[in-house]
Amino acid sequence: MVASDASGGEAATGRRAEEMMSVVHAQAAPGATRQGNGGGAIVAGRGISKYFGQRCVLREVDFEVTPGEMLVVMGKSGSGKSTLLRVIAGLAQPETGELDISGLTVIKDGKHLDGWATQRRLVGMVFQQYTLWPHMSVYKNLALGPRRVLRQPESEIRSRAEAALDEVGLRDRMHSRPSELSGGQRQRVAIARALMMQPRVMLCDEITSALDPPIASGVLNILTNLARNDGIACVIVTHDMAFASKAADRVMFVEDGQILEQEEPSLAFSNPSSAGLREFVDALKVK
Amino acid sequence: MGGLLAYQFDWSIIPPIFPSLLQGLELTLEITVVTIAVSMVVAVPLALARMATVTIIRWPAQLYIEIFRGTPLLVQLIWVYYALPVVLGINLPAFIAVVIALSANLTAFMAEAYRAGFQAVPKEHLEAAQVVGLRRVDQIRFVTVPQALRQQIPVILSLNISLFKDSSLVSTLGVADLTYKGNIESSLLFRPMEIYTTIAAIYFIIAFPATLITSAIERRMLAGQEGQTPNRPRGARSLMLKLLPTHLLFGGFGG
Repeated sequence: MVASDASGGEAATGRRAEEMMSVVHAQAAPGATRQGNGGGAIVAGRGISKYFGQRCVLREVDFEVTPGEMLVVMGKSGSGKSTLLRVIAGLAQPETGELDISGLTVIKDGKHLDGWATQRRLVGMVFQQYTLWPHMSVYKNLALGPRRVLRQPESEIRSRAEAALDEVGLRDRMHSRPSELSGGQRQRVAIARALMMQPRVMLCDEITSALDPPIASGVLNILTNLARNDGIACVIVTHDMAFASKAADRVMFVEDGQILEQEEPSLAFSNPSSAGLREFVDALKVK
Repeated sequence: MGGLLAYQFDWSIIPPIFPSLLQGLELTLEITVVTIAVSMVVAVPLALARMATVTIIRWPAQLYIEIFRGTPLLVQLIWVYYALPVVLGINLPAFIAVVIALSANLTAFMAEAYRAGFQAVPKEHLEAAQVVGLRRVDQIRFVTVPQALRQQIPVILSLNISLFKDSSLVSTLGVADLTYKGNIESSLLFRPMEIYTTIAAIYFIIAFPATLITSAIERRMLAGQEGQTPNRPRGARSLMLKLLPTHLLFGGFGG
């Protein structure tokens, strides 16, 4: 189902990533500041807090994601894991803290800096809901961003759309409407749409929660291949423990707006150090 | 019942006056087309103003919409035709005056239809556009407006059909539309039954296919939405249901 060879191998991918990074650094606006700490991280947050009214949903969280890393974020509903992704994607503005993307600080003291618009292009996001634009074909969904944001020529957009659809195994559905696709196919197209913007980080917010297990597994395998073959860091919010055990490099457990645990999955699931994760894992096992 | 059966219809009077009625129909269509064109454009900024978070922008828009939705269309026509020249000190040609009044009225309803359409676009679709990096103006142009218009086509068509029928009110101001021509011929020939039946048939022949098209589009849209986004846009249907009973069944969306 997944045509991972479309990436052209790890060496080529590494070169592509380096080229992309250099372009982004060169384009960074003067307002963005180069970050000295955590040089290897593609995304790093320090002291990030987010409130909804009086309710604190993120409490001064610190985190890092490295290139090619598969990070699974787990936690109960309302624990703050989706908000964390939304802050990284720029859909929610934190009240405090700093965020670095690819070594440049783009949020400081809770405010977006000038370089934000450029750096955010390195972050792709796929949502729980099917967010394909229903009035556009698959190809148009994929082409809009590169055309309007990256100003790429049509021929390049076309070849990249074909490659992205190859990556998710849906090249033959290029001219279909979203309404003609199944739920799993739509999520794969959503991943392809995010890939069109050449992200270095892919954020996935419970993207398989509405899918049957075999279809969900297919979608998650695509992300695993992106991390392993293309060096794209994947931050995945999911309750799928089997997937986390098999594919994650690290499991992050979030509770009450705080990151309680960050461990390799084998350690996190076999010997959770926090009571919250233990309870959560037990509940998932019962399911 | 007996009176109607006893009435001797004389349809032979219609052919001689038909060219005059068609002349009136031409003006009716002109008024309708110009009014729709003006309203569909002006309603976009009005709808955006109505949704603005800045109070000083939102309130005037809301006030405008409520005034024109809350007063009778005939009163609005008379006011623009007679009172506006007094207030502004200029004499407007009748055609211009009625187009202004009808456009002002239709714009208020159209803006509300647009607003419902804009608000029915799922916010996740806009967030997806935001994550892709589209500028605000591109989000509106490529994501919001196409989906909103698609959602609102039945409502917009219904409003336009209503306008076509309600334009007959301009006859009260002496504008020589289809109804006015009928009034004149009727007073000359003393055959109101035949003449008004003919006029009603002309309005119906034009409005009915448009109504059928509207229904077909709505059915197609509802069928197309099956199995689409799980959070299917809401609002358009409910707005239409609110508008239809008053404006299509009882006629006159201005009062």
